[in-house]
Amino acid sequence: MPPQDELVSRRWFLNRMAWVSSAAAVGATLHAGPAIAGPPGMRMPDEAFAPSVRPQVLDDLTELTLSETMTLVRGGRLTPADLVNAYVDRIEAYGDIYQAYADRPTRADLLAQAARTPVGGAEAPFRGACLAPKDNFYTADLLTEGGSLVYEGFRPDYDATAVSLMRAAGGLVVGKAQMGNLAGGRARRYGTTIPTTRNAWTPDDVRYSPAGSSSGTGSAVAGRLAVVGIGTQTGGSVIGPGNAEGLTCIKPTFGRVSLHGVIPLSYTRDHVGPMARNALDAAILLQVLAQPDPNDPRTLGLPPAPNYVLAATPFGGDRPRVRWPTRVGIWPDYLSGDNTQVTQLRTSFIEELERNPAVQVVPDVTLPDQWDELTSAPLGGSHGDPTAFFIEHLRKDVRNFADRLPRFLNGMLQSADTYVKVQQARNLLRHRMLTQLFNQCDVVLTTSTGAFDGTGLPLLCMPIGFDMEPDNGNRVPRGVVMAAPPFGEERLFAVAAAWQAITDFHQVRPPDPA
Amino acid sequence: MADQVPPPVPTDEELNTYIRTRYALLGIDISVLPGSDSDAPMDQERLLANGRSILRQDAEVAGFEIDPQFNLPMPFPAPFTAWTEG
Repeated sequence: MPPQDELVSRRWFLNRMAWVSSAAAVGATLHAGPAIAGPPGMRMPDEAFAPSVRPQVLDDLTELTLSETMTLVRGGRLTPADLVNAYVDRIEAYGDIYQAYADRPTRADLLAQAARTPVGGAEAPFRGACLAPKDNFYTADLLTEGGSLVYEGFRPDYDATAVSLMRAAGGLVVGKAQMGNLAGGRARRYGTTIPTTRNAWTPDDVRYSPAGSSSGTGSAVAGRLAVVGIGTQTGGSVIGPGNAEGLTCIKPTFGRVSLHGVIPLSYTRDHVGPMARNALDAAILLQVLAQPDPNDPRTLGLPPAPNYVLAATPFGGDRPRVRWPTRVGIWPDYLSGDNTQVTQLRTSFIEELERNPAVQVVPDVTLPDQWDELTSAPLGGSHGDPTAFFIEHLRKDVRNFADRLPRFLNGMLQSADTYVKVQQARNLLRHRMLTQLFNQCDVVLTTSTGAFDGTGLPLLCMPIGFDMEPDNGNRVPRGVVMAAPPFGEERLFAVAAAWQAITDFHQVRPPDPA
Repeated sequence: MADQVPPPVPTDEELNTYIRTRYALLGIDISVLPGSDSDAPMDQERLLANGRSILRQDAEVAGFEIDPQFNLPMPFPAPFTAWTEG
Protein backbone atom coordinates (compact mmCIF):
# COMPACT_ATOMS: atom_id res chain seq x y z
CA MET A 1 0.00 0.00 0.00
CA PRO A 2 1.45 3.41 -0.87
CA PRO A 3 2.09 5.95 1.89
CA GLN A 4 -0.69 8.31 2.86
CA ASP A 5 0.76 11.39 1.19
CA GLU A 6 0.20 9.71 -2.17
CA LEU A 7 -3.39 8.85 -1.41
CA VAL A 8 -4.73 12.07 0.02
CA SER A 9 -2.84 15.23 -0.37
CA ARG A 10 -2.74 15.74 -4.11
CA ARG A 11 -6.46 15.80 -4.48
CA TRP A 12 -6.83 17.85 -1.35
CA PHE A 13 -4.68 20.65 -2.60
CA LEU A 14 -5.43 20.61 -6.27
CA ASN A 15 -9.18 20.55 -5.71
CA ARG A 16 -9.14 23.08 -2.94
CA MET A 17 -11.65 25.37 -4.58
CA ALA A 18 -14.03 22.47 -5.07
CA TRP A 19 -14.12 21.72 -1.40
CA VAL A 20 -14.60 25.31 -0.45
CA SER A 21 -17.77 25.48 -2.49
CA SER A 22 -18.97 22.08 -1.33
CA ALA A 23 -18.47 23.21 2.23
CA ALA A 24 -21.17 25.77 1.83
CA ALA A 25 -23.58 23.11 0.66
CA VAL A 26 -22.80 20.47 3.27
CA GLY A 27 -21.83 22.59 6.22
CA ALA A 28 -23.66 20.28 8.56
CA THR A 29 -20.95 17.67 8.11
CA LEU A 30 -18.67 19.98 10.04
CA HIS A 31 -20.18 18.77 13.26
CA ALA A 32 -20.13 15.08 12.44
CA GLY A 33 -16.63 14.27 13.57
CA PRO A 34 -15.53 10.73 14.18
CA ALA A 35 -15.63 9.43 17.72
CA ILE A 36 -12.40 9.12 19.64
CA ALA A 37 -10.61 5.98 18.55
CA GLY A 38 -7.74 6.10 20.99
CA PRO A 39 -6.94 4.05 24.04
CA PRO A 40 -8.41 2.15 25.67
CA GLY A 41 -9.15 -0.21 22.85
CA MET A 42 -6.40 1.04 20.57
CA ARG A 43 -4.15 -1.73 19.36
CA MET A 44 -0.49 -1.07 18.89
CA PRO A 45 0.92 -2.66 15.73
CA ASP A 46 2.99 -5.74 16.45
CA GLU A 47 6.02 -4.14 14.79
CA ALA A 48 6.22 -1.74 17.74
CA PHE A 49 7.50 -4.47 20.01
CA ALA A 50 11.22 -5.00 19.51
CA PRO A 51 11.90 -8.55 18.31
CA SER A 52 15.04 -8.52 20.45
CA VAL A 53 16.50 -6.31 23.14
CA ARG A 54 20.12 -5.19 23.03
CA PRO A 55 21.78 -7.15 25.85
CA GLN A 56 24.32 -4.45 26.55
CA VAL A 57 21.63 -2.02 27.76
CA LEU A 58 19.95 -4.33 30.24
CA ASP A 59 22.20 -3.18 33.07
CA ASP A 60 20.66 0.28 32.93
CA LEU A 61 16.95 0.33 32.22
CA THR A 62 17.06 3.99 31.21
CA GLU A 63 19.11 2.90 28.19
CA LEU A 64 16.19 0.93 26.80
CA THR A 65 14.22 2.38 23.94
CA LEU A 66 10.46 2.64 24.24
CA SER A 67 10.10 -0.31 21.88
CA GLU A 68 12.47 -2.42 23.97
CA THR A 69 10.69 -1.34 27.16
CA MET A 70 7.34 -2.37 25.75
CA THR A 71 8.69 -5.77 24.77
CA LEU A 72 10.19 -6.48 28.18
CA VAL A 73 7.09 -5.36 30.09
CA ARG A 74 4.76 -7.33 27.85
CA GLY A 75 6.95 -10.38 28.29
CA GLY A 76 6.92 -10.05 32.07
CA ARG A 77 10.69 -9.52 32.22
CA LEU A 78 10.27 -6.04 33.58
CA THR A 79 7.66 -4.36 35.74
CA PRO A 80 6.45 -0.76 35.67
CA ALA A 81 7.92 -0.37 39.16
CA ASP A 82 11.35 -1.40 37.85
CA LEU A 83 11.15 1.38 35.30
CA VAL A 84 9.95 3.95 37.81
CA ASN A 85 12.79 3.18 40.16
CA ALA A 86 15.41 3.29 37.41
CA TYR A 87 14.26 6.66 36.11
CA VAL A 88 13.70 8.24 39.51
CA ASP A 89 17.15 7.06 40.60
CA ARG A 90 18.66 8.83 37.64
CA ILE A 91 16.57 11.94 38.10
CA GLU A 92 17.58 12.14 41.74
CA ALA A 93 21.22 11.71 40.79
CA TYR A 94 21.37 14.22 37.95
CA GLY A 95 18.13 16.17 37.87
CA ASP A 96 19.60 19.24 39.55
CA ILE A 97 22.29 19.40 36.90
CA TYR A 98 20.17 18.87 33.81
CA GLN A 99 17.30 21.00 35.19
CA ALA A 100 15.05 19.31 32.67
CA TYR A 101 11.94 19.26 34.85
CA ALA A 102 9.85 22.06 36.28
CA ASP A 103 7.65 19.81 38.42
CA ARG A 104 7.54 16.10 38.99
CA PRO A 105 5.73 13.54 41.11
CA THR A 106 7.38 11.73 43.99
CA ARG A 107 8.69 8.21 43.65
CA ALA A 108 5.80 7.03 45.83
CA ASP A 109 3.27 8.77 43.59
CA LEU A 110 4.76 7.17 40.52
CA LEU A 111 4.91 3.72 42.06
CA ALA A 112 1.27 4.05 43.05
CA GLN A 113 0.38 5.08 39.51
CA ALA A 114 2.47 2.23 38.13
CA ALA A 115 0.52 -0.23 40.24
CA ARG A 116 -2.70 1.07 38.72
CA THR A 117 -1.60 1.02 35.07
CA PRO A 118 -3.78 -1.22 32.94
CA VAL A 119 -2.42 -4.67 32.33
CA GLY A 120 -2.17 -5.69 28.73
CA GLY A 121 0.10 -5.73 25.74
CA ALA A 122 -1.29 -4.14 22.66
CA GLU A 123 -4.05 -2.27 24.50
CA ALA A 124 -1.78 -0.72 27.13
CA PRO A 125 1.52 -0.69 25.29
CA PHE A 126 3.14 2.09 27.35
CA ARG A 127 2.70 0.33 30.66
CA GLY A 128 5.33 1.79 32.97
CA ALA A 129 6.97 3.93 30.28
CA CYS A 130 8.33 7.13 31.84
CA LEU A 131 7.32 10.15 29.78
CA ALA A 132 8.25 13.83 29.71
CA PRO A 133 5.56 16.16 28.39
CA LYS A 134 6.54 19.79 27.98
CA ASP A 135 5.21 22.06 30.68
CA ASN A 136 2.57 23.60 28.43
CA PHE A 137 0.53 20.36 28.44
CA TYR A 138 -2.16 20.46 31.10
CA THR A 139 -1.76 17.87 33.87
CA ALA A 140 -4.28 17.61 36.65
CA ASP A 141 -1.78 16.26 39.15
CA LEU A 142 1.19 18.50 38.39
CA LEU A 143 1.79 22.19 37.87
CA THR A 144 1.54 23.54 34.33
CA GLU A 145 3.47 26.79 34.22
CA GLY A 146 4.52 27.19 30.60
CA GLY A 147 7.98 28.28 31.64
CA SER A 148 6.59 31.63 32.69
CA LEU A 149 5.55 33.84 35.56
CA VAL A 150 2.26 34.22 33.70
CA TYR A 151 1.25 30.67 34.67
CA GLU A 152 3.21 30.37 37.90
CA GLY A 153 1.34 28.08 40.29
CA PHE A 154 -1.25 27.04 37.69
CA ARG A 155 -2.69 23.58 38.24
CA PRO A 156 -5.31 22.61 35.64
CA ASP A 157 -8.20 20.40 36.62
CA TYR A 158 -7.80 18.06 33.66
CA ASP A 159 -5.12 16.51 31.48
CA ALA A 160 -4.39 17.62 27.94
CA THR A 161 -5.74 15.13 25.42
CA ALA A 162 -2.21 14.11 24.44
CA VAL A 163 -1.35 13.39 28.07
CA SER A 164 -4.60 11.50 28.55
CA LEU A 165 -3.83 9.31 25.56
CA MET A 166 -0.35 8.47 26.80
CA ARG A 167 -1.64 7.71 30.29
CA ALA A 168 -4.49 5.62 28.95
CA ALA A 169 -1.87 3.59 27.12
CA GLY A 170 -0.19 2.90 30.47
CA GLY A 171 2.42 5.67 30.40
CA LEU A 172 3.61 7.59 33.45
CA VAL A 173 4.39 11.29 33.50
CA VAL A 174 7.73 11.28 35.28
CA GLY A 175 8.05 15.05 35.10
CA LYS A 176 6.83 18.23 33.45
CA ALA A 177 9.63 19.33 31.19
CA GLN A 178 11.01 22.84 31.42
CA MET A 179 10.46 25.03 28.40
CA GLY A 180 11.15 28.44 27.00
CA ASN A 181 9.03 31.28 28.34
CA LEU A 182 5.54 30.74 26.86
CA ALA A 183 7.04 28.52 24.16
CA GLY A 184 9.83 30.80 23.03
CA GLY A 185 13.59 30.33 23.32
CA ARG A 186 15.46 27.98 25.66
CA ALA A 187 14.23 27.31 29.20
CA ARG A 188 15.11 30.04 31.66
CA ARG A 189 14.48 31.00 35.23
CA TYR A 190 10.98 32.46 35.14
CA GLY A 191 10.86 36.15 34.32
CA THR A 192 14.58 36.36 33.56
CA THR A 193 17.03 35.59 30.78
CA ILE A 194 19.09 33.27 33.00
CA PRO A 195 19.25 29.80 31.36
CA THR A 196 18.31 26.69 33.30
CA THR A 197 18.04 23.44 31.31
CA ARG A 198 21.38 22.05 30.16
CA ASN A 199 21.93 20.34 26.87
CA ALA A 200 22.36 16.66 27.78
CA TRP A 201 25.52 16.55 25.65
CA THR A 202 27.13 19.31 27.65
CA PRO A 203 25.70 18.84 31.14
CA ASP A 204 28.61 20.67 32.73
CA ASP A 205 28.45 23.65 30.38
CA VAL A 206 25.29 25.74 30.49
CA ARG A 207 26.52 27.92 27.64
CA TYR A 208 25.78 25.30 25.00
CA SER A 209 22.08 25.63 24.36
CA PRO A 210 19.59 22.78 24.34
CA ALA A 211 17.66 25.01 21.91
CA GLY A 212 14.01 25.74 22.50
CA SER A 213 11.37 25.92 23.30
CA SER A 214 10.95 22.19 24.08
CA SER A 215 14.30 22.30 25.87
CA GLY A 216 13.38 20.19 28.88
CA THR A 217 11.81 17.40 26.88
CA GLY A 218 14.87 17.27 24.65
CA SER A 219 17.30 17.10 27.56
CA ALA A 220 15.14 14.63 29.49
CA VAL A 221 14.95 12.17 26.61
CA ALA A 222 18.58 12.54 25.55
CA GLY A 223 19.81 12.50 29.15
CA ARG A 224 17.75 9.38 29.95
CA LEU A 225 15.47 11.06 32.44
CA ALA A 226 12.52 9.87 30.32
CA VAL A 227 12.18 7.31 27.57
CA VAL A 228 10.25 9.61 25.21
CA GLY A 229 8.47 12.93 25.47
CA ILE A 230 6.24 15.39 23.72
CA GLY A 231 7.01 18.94 22.78
CA THR A 232 5.16 21.58 20.85
CA GLN A 233 6.25 23.47 17.77
CA THR A 234 5.03 26.80 16.47
CA GLY A 235 8.35 27.87 15.00
CA GLY A 236 10.92 25.09 15.20
CA SER A 237 10.46 24.23 18.89
CA VAL A 238 10.52 20.45 18.49
CA ILE A 239 12.93 20.12 15.60
CA GLY A 240 15.42 22.62 17.07
CA PRO A 241 15.89 20.87 20.43
CA GLY A 242 15.69 17.52 18.67
CA ASN A 243 18.71 18.28 16.54
CA ALA A 244 20.54 19.98 19.40
CA GLU A 245 20.16 16.83 21.51
CA GLY A 246 20.71 14.14 18.85
CA LEU A 247 17.09 12.98 18.93
CA THR A 248 14.65 11.78 16.33
CA CYS A 249 11.53 13.92 16.43
CA ILE A 250 8.48 14.33 14.26
CA LYS A 251 6.36 17.41 13.84
CA PRO A 252 3.30 15.89 12.17
CA THR A 253 0.84 17.45 9.77
CA PHE A 254 -1.22 20.23 11.33
CA GLY A 255 -4.20 18.79 13.16
CA ARG A 256 -2.83 15.27 13.41
CA VAL A 257 -2.45 15.50 17.21
CA SER A 258 -4.91 17.27 19.47
CA LEU A 259 -3.90 20.58 21.01
CA HIS A 260 -6.71 20.51 23.55
CA GLY A 261 -5.24 21.29 26.94
CA VAL A 262 -2.06 22.86 25.57
CA ILE A 263 -1.29 26.47 26.47
CA PRO A 264 -1.77 28.07 23.06
CA LEU A 265 0.64 30.24 21.18
CA SER A 266 -0.97 30.24 17.75
CA TYR A 267 -4.25 28.63 16.76
CA THR A 268 -2.91 28.20 13.26
CA ARG A 269 0.69 27.06 13.74
CA ASP A 270 0.88 25.05 16.97
CA HIS A 271 1.74 21.37 16.65
CA VAL A 272 2.38 18.56 19.13
CA GLY A 273 5.53 16.60 18.32
CA PRO A 274 6.94 13.32 19.68
CA MET A 275 10.59 13.48 20.73
CA ALA A 276 12.46 10.18 20.91
CA ARG A 277 15.82 8.47 20.61
CA ASN A 278 15.03 6.81 17.31
CA ALA A 279 12.48 6.80 14.51
CA LEU A 280 10.63 3.73 15.74
CA ASP A 281 10.01 5.23 19.17
CA ALA A 282 8.81 8.50 17.63
CA ALA A 283 6.43 6.53 15.41
CA ILE A 284 5.13 4.46 18.34
CA LEU A 285 4.35 7.63 20.27
CA LEU A 286 2.71 9.26 17.28
CA GLN A 287 0.62 6.13 16.79
CA VAL A 288 -0.88 6.67 20.24
CA LEU A 289 -1.30 10.43 19.85
CA ALA A 290 -2.75 10.62 16.33
CA GLN A 291 -6.40 10.43 17.30
CA PRO A 292 -9.36 12.62 16.42
CA ASP A 293 -10.49 14.66 19.41
CA PRO A 294 -13.95 16.22 19.62
CA ASN A 295 -12.42 18.89 21.84
CA ASP A 296 -10.15 20.01 19.02
CA PRO A 297 -11.95 20.43 15.70
CA ARG A 298 -8.62 20.76 13.94
CA THR A 299 -8.17 17.01 14.40
CA LEU A 300 -11.52 16.04 12.90
CA GLY A 301 -12.16 14.99 9.35
CA LEU A 302 -8.60 13.91 8.65
CA PRO A 303 -7.85 10.61 6.96
CA PRO A 304 -7.39 7.90 9.61
CA ALA A 305 -3.89 7.60 10.99
CA PRO A 306 -1.94 4.99 9.03
CA ASN A 307 0.52 2.49 10.48
CA TYR A 308 3.39 4.82 11.40
CA VAL A 309 5.13 2.03 13.26
CA LEU A 310 5.35 -0.13 10.17
CA ALA A 311 6.74 2.82 8.23
CA ALA A 312 9.45 3.27 10.86
CA THR A 313 10.41 -0.40 10.89
CA PRO A 314 13.56 -1.34 8.98
CA PHE A 315 12.74 -2.74 5.56
CA GLY A 316 14.73 -4.86 3.18
CA GLY A 317 16.43 -7.31 5.52
CA ASP A 318 20.21 -7.42 5.12
CA ARG A 319 20.08 -4.66 2.54
CA PRO A 320 17.91 -2.02 4.21
CA ARG A 321 16.16 0.36 1.89
CA VAL A 322 13.42 2.94 2.09
CA ARG A 323 10.09 1.16 2.16
CA TRP A 324 8.66 3.07 -0.82
CA PRO A 325 10.42 4.47 -3.89
CA THR A 326 11.17 8.01 -2.77
CA ARG A 327 12.58 11.08 -4.44
CA VAL A 328 14.65 13.01 -1.90
CA GLY A 329 15.14 16.64 -2.85
CA ILE A 330 18.10 18.69 -1.67
CA TRP A 331 17.50 22.28 -0.63
CA PRO A 332 19.38 24.96 -2.59
CA ASP A 333 22.71 25.79 -0.90
CA TYR A 334 22.27 22.81 1.40
CA LEU A 335 25.95 21.98 1.09
CA SER A 336 27.40 25.45 1.16
CA GLY A 337 27.09 26.43 4.80
CA ASP A 338 29.87 27.99 6.87
CA ASN A 339 30.40 24.93 9.07
CA THR A 340 32.54 22.57 7.02
CA GLN A 341 32.08 19.70 9.48
CA VAL A 342 28.31 19.93 9.13
CA THR A 343 28.63 20.11 5.36
CA GLN A 344 30.74 16.95 5.41
CA LEU A 345 28.16 15.13 7.51
CA ARG A 346 25.38 16.22 5.18
CA THR A 347 27.41 15.13 2.17
CA SER A 348 27.95 11.68 3.70
CA PHE A 349 24.26 11.40 4.45
CA ILE A 350 23.31 12.24 0.87
CA GLU A 351 25.90 9.80 -0.47
CA GLU A 352 24.32 7.08 1.63
CA LEU A 353 20.90 8.02 0.31
CA GLU A 354 22.25 7.69 -3.22
CA ARG A 355 23.32 4.14 -2.43
CA ASN A 356 19.80 3.27 -1.32
CA PRO A 357 18.09 1.45 -4.22
CA ALA A 358 14.70 2.97 -3.40
CA VAL A 359 15.92 6.55 -3.33
CA GLN A 360 16.34 9.00 -6.14
CA VAL A 361 18.24 12.07 -4.99
CA VAL A 362 17.10 15.31 -6.62
CA PRO A 363 19.86 17.88 -6.17
CA ASP A 364 19.10 21.56 -5.87
CA VAL A 365 15.33 21.60 -6.00
CA THR A 366 13.90 24.92 -7.08
CA LEU A 367 11.83 26.78 -4.53
CA PRO A 368 8.30 28.01 -5.18
CA ASP A 369 7.70 31.42 -6.70
CA GLN A 370 8.03 34.35 -4.29
CA TRP A 371 9.58 32.04 -1.70
CA ASP A 372 11.41 34.75 0.22
CA GLU A 373 8.42 37.07 0.25
CA LEU A 374 5.98 34.37 1.36
CA THR A 375 8.16 32.80 4.03
CA SER A 376 9.66 35.78 5.82
CA ALA A 377 8.08 38.45 7.98
CA PRO A 378 5.63 39.98 7.76
CA LEU A 379 3.77 37.68 5.32
CA GLY A 380 5.38 34.51 6.63
CA GLY A 381 4.91 35.41 10.26
CA SER A 382 2.23 34.91 12.84
CA HIS A 383 2.80 37.86 15.12
CA GLY A 384 -0.87 38.58 15.65
CA ASP A 385 -1.84 35.19 16.97
CA PRO A 386 -0.95 35.00 20.67
CA THR A 387 -2.44 38.25 21.87
CA ALA A 388 -6.05 37.19 22.15
CA PHE A 389 -5.38 34.37 24.61
CA PHE A 390 -3.49 36.51 27.07
CA ILE A 391 -5.31 39.81 27.39
CA GLU A 392 -6.19 39.37 31.07
CA HIS A 393 -2.63 38.41 31.88
CA LEU A 394 -1.38 41.46 30.01
CA ARG A 395 -3.70 43.71 31.99
CA LYS A 396 -2.50 42.16 35.23
CA ASP A 397 1.22 42.85 34.79
CA VAL A 398 3.15 43.02 31.54
CA ARG A 399 6.39 42.33 33.42
CA ASN A 400 5.37 38.69 33.83
CA PHE A 401 5.97 38.18 30.10
CA ALA A 402 9.62 39.23 30.46
CA ASP A 403 11.54 39.18 27.18
CA ARG A 404 8.59 37.66 25.33
CA LEU A 405 6.29 40.63 25.90
CA PRO A 406 6.38 42.07 22.36
CA ARG A 407 5.20 38.78 20.89
CA PHE A 408 2.10 38.94 23.06
CA LEU A 409 1.27 42.57 22.43
CA ASN A 410 1.75 42.63 18.68
CA GLY A 411 -1.72 41.42 17.87
CA MET A 412 -3.14 44.65 19.24
CA LEU A 413 -1.22 46.57 16.64
CA GLN A 414 -1.71 44.33 13.64
CA SER A 415 -4.73 45.23 11.56
CA ALA A 416 -7.44 42.75 10.68
CA ASP A 417 -6.79 43.12 6.96
CA THR A 418 -3.13 42.29 7.51
CA TYR A 419 -4.10 39.23 9.49
CA VAL A 420 -6.40 38.05 6.70
CA LYS A 421 -3.76 38.65 4.09
CA VAL A 422 -1.18 36.70 6.09
CA GLN A 423 -3.58 33.75 6.13
CA GLN A 424 -4.15 34.11 2.39
CA ALA A 425 -0.43 34.21 1.77
CA ARG A 426 0.02 31.10 3.87
CA ASN A 427 -2.54 29.28 1.80
CA LEU A 428 -0.88 30.44 -1.41
CA LEU A 429 2.45 29.21 -0.10
CA ARG A 430 0.94 25.86 0.90
CA HIS A 431 -0.44 25.40 -2.59
CA ARG A 432 2.85 26.35 -4.23
CA MET A 433 4.81 24.03 -1.95
CA LEU A 434 2.78 21.16 -3.29
CA THR A 435 2.69 22.16 -6.91
CA GLN A 436 6.15 23.73 -7.22
CA LEU A 437 8.26 21.91 -4.62
CA PHE A 438 6.73 18.51 -3.92
CA ASN A 439 6.20 17.98 -7.62
CA GLN A 440 9.98 17.55 -7.77
CA CYS A 441 10.40 15.28 -4.75
CA ASP A 442 8.56 13.30 -2.06
CA VAL A 443 10.82 14.37 0.79
CA VAL A 444 13.13 17.35 0.96
CA LEU A 445 16.21 17.96 3.07
CA THR A 446 15.78 21.50 4.23
CA THR A 447 17.46 24.24 6.19
CA SER A 448 14.19 26.11 6.58
CA THR A 449 11.61 24.93 9.12
CA GLY A 450 9.48 28.04 9.53
CA ALA A 451 7.75 27.69 6.19
CA PHE A 452 6.69 24.17 7.09
CA ASP A 453 5.33 25.28 10.44
CA GLY A 454 3.20 27.97 8.86
CA THR A 455 1.83 25.65 6.23
CA GLY A 456 1.31 22.74 8.60
CA LEU A 457 3.49 20.28 6.70
CA PRO A 458 5.34 17.46 8.50
CA LEU A 459 8.98 17.63 9.52
CA LEU A 460 11.34 15.04 10.96
CA CYS A 461 14.82 15.46 12.41
CA MET A 462 17.41 12.81 13.24
CA PRO A 463 21.12 12.64 14.01
CA ILE A 464 23.66 12.11 11.25
CA GLY A 465 26.89 12.41 13.20
CA PHE A 466 28.93 14.48 15.62
CA ASP A 467 31.32 17.34 15.46
CA MET A 468 33.26 19.62 17.74
CA GLU A 469 31.45 22.76 18.80
CA PRO A 470 33.90 25.55 17.96
CA ASP A 471 32.91 27.82 20.84
CA ASN A 472 33.47 25.37 23.68
CA GLY A 473 35.18 22.28 22.28
CA ASN A 474 32.31 19.97 23.20
CA ARG A 475 31.47 16.97 21.04
CA VAL A 476 27.85 17.49 20.05
CA PRO A 477 25.40 15.78 17.71
CA ARG A 478 24.36 17.15 14.35
CA GLY A 479 21.18 16.30 12.55
CA VAL A 480 19.16 16.72 9.40
CA VAL A 481 15.66 18.07 8.91
CA MET A 482 13.41 16.46 6.34
CA ALA A 483 10.03 17.75 5.21
CA ALA A 484 7.18 16.11 3.33
CA PRO A 485 3.80 17.02 1.87
CA PRO A 486 0.65 16.74 4.00
CA PHE A 487 0.28 13.37 5.74
CA GLY A 488 3.78 12.43 4.63
CA GLU A 489 4.82 11.15 8.07
CA GLU A 490 5.18 7.58 6.85
CA ARG A 491 7.53 8.68 4.12
CA LEU A 492 9.68 10.56 6.64
CA PHE A 493 9.75 7.61 9.01
CA ALA A 494 10.68 5.27 6.17
CA VAL A 495 13.70 7.34 5.19
CA ALA A 496 14.75 7.65 8.82
CA ALA A 497 14.33 3.92 9.43
CA ALA A 498 16.50 3.07 6.43
CA TRP A 499 19.22 5.39 7.70
CA GLN A 500 19.06 4.17 11.29
CA ALA A 501 19.17 0.54 10.14
CA ILE A 502 22.74 1.06 8.93
CA THR A 503 24.04 3.68 11.36
CA ASP A 504 24.28 3.96 15.13
CA PHE A 505 24.35 7.71 15.74
CA HIS A 506 20.91 7.39 17.32
CA GLN A 507 22.26 4.83 19.79
CA VAL A 508 25.12 6.96 21.10
CA ARG A 509 24.22 8.43 24.48
CA PRO A 510 25.58 11.60 26.02
CA PRO A 511 28.12 11.32 28.85
CA ASP A 512 26.88 11.54 32.39
CA PRO A 513 27.56 14.79 34.21
CA ALA A 514 30.98 14.96 35.82
CA MET B 1 -8.23 65.20 -11.28
CA ALA B 2 -4.73 65.46 -9.84
CA ASP B 3 -3.14 62.40 -8.30
CA GLN B 4 -3.69 62.17 -4.59
CA VAL B 5 -0.58 63.04 -2.60
CA PRO B 6 0.18 60.38 0.02
CA PRO B 7 0.13 61.64 3.59
CA PRO B 8 3.46 62.17 5.34
CA VAL B 9 5.02 59.08 6.84
CA PRO B 10 4.36 59.02 10.61
CA THR B 11 7.35 59.73 12.80
CA ASP B 12 8.62 57.45 15.55
CA GLU B 13 7.20 59.82 18.11
CA GLU B 14 3.76 59.74 16.52
CA LEU B 15 3.82 55.96 16.41
CA ASN B 16 4.93 55.77 20.03
CA THR B 17 1.95 57.88 21.02
CA TYR B 18 -0.33 55.66 18.97
CA ILE B 19 1.07 52.49 20.57
CA ARG B 20 0.80 53.80 24.12
CA THR B 21 -2.75 54.94 23.43
CA ARG B 22 -3.72 51.61 21.95
CA TYR B 23 -2.44 49.70 24.96
CA ALA B 24 -4.01 52.13 27.41
CA LEU B 25 -7.33 51.78 25.63
CA LEU B 26 -7.21 48.06 26.38
CA GLY B 27 -6.20 48.59 29.98
CA ILE B 28 -2.57 47.57 29.56
CA ASP B 29 0.03 49.57 31.43
CA ILE B 30 3.51 49.48 29.97
CA SER B 31 4.81 52.26 32.21
CA VAL B 32 5.68 49.62 34.81
CA LEU B 33 8.59 48.61 32.57
CA PRO B 34 11.88 50.46 32.86
CA GLY B 35 12.24 53.20 30.26
CA SER B 36 15.55 51.98 28.89
CA ASP B 37 17.53 49.23 30.51
CA SER B 38 19.28 46.73 28.30
CA ASP B 39 19.91 44.48 31.31
CA ALA B 40 16.21 44.16 32.05
CA PRO B 41 14.27 41.33 30.34
CA MET B 42 12.21 44.02 28.63
CA ASP B 43 12.03 47.81 28.63
CA GLN B 44 9.75 50.41 27.06
CA GLU B 45 12.32 51.40 24.48
CA ARG B 46 12.56 47.90 23.01
CA LEU B 47 8.84 47.34 23.26
CA LEU B 48 8.03 50.52 21.37
CA ALA B 49 10.65 49.80 18.72
CA ASN B 50 9.07 46.41 18.13
CA GLY B 51 5.61 47.99 18.00
CA ARG B 52 6.70 50.54 15.42
CA SER B 53 8.13 47.74 13.32
CA ILE B 54 4.85 45.86 13.43
CA LEU B 55 2.87 48.93 12.42
CA ARG B 56 5.19 49.67 9.52
CA GLN B 57 4.94 46.07 8.37
CA ASP B 58 1.21 46.61 7.96
CA ALA B 59 1.98 49.00 5.13
CA GLU B 60 4.25 46.42 3.55
CA VAL B 61 1.59 43.72 3.72
CA ALA B 62 -1.04 46.04 2.30
CA GLY B 63 1.10 46.36 -0.82
CA PHE B 64 1.23 42.62 -1.42
CA GLU B 65 -1.16 41.71 -4.21
CA ILE B 66 -2.91 38.38 -3.95
CA ASP B 67 -5.82 37.17 -6.05
CA PRO B 68 -8.91 37.51 -3.82
CA GLN B 69 -10.65 34.72 -5.76
CA PHE B 70 -8.05 32.15 -4.74
CA ASN B 71 -6.09 31.29 -1.62
CA LEU B 72 -8.86 32.02 0.80
CA PRO B 73 -7.72 32.66 4.36
CA MET B 74 -8.26 29.25 5.93
CA PRO B 75 -6.49 28.79 9.20
CA PHE B 76 -7.28 25.09 9.59
CA PRO B 77 -6.78 23.38 6.24
CA ALA B 78 -6.41 19.80 7.37
CA PRO B 79 -10.01 19.07 8.44
CA PHE B 80 -11.26 20.10 5.04
CA THR B 81 -9.67 16.99 3.64
CA ALA B 82 -12.79 15.03 4.39
CA TRP B 83 -14.68 17.06 1.87
CA THR B 84 -12.51 15.91 -0.96
CA GLU B 85 -13.45 12.29 -0.48
CA GLY B 86 -16.01 10.68 -2.74
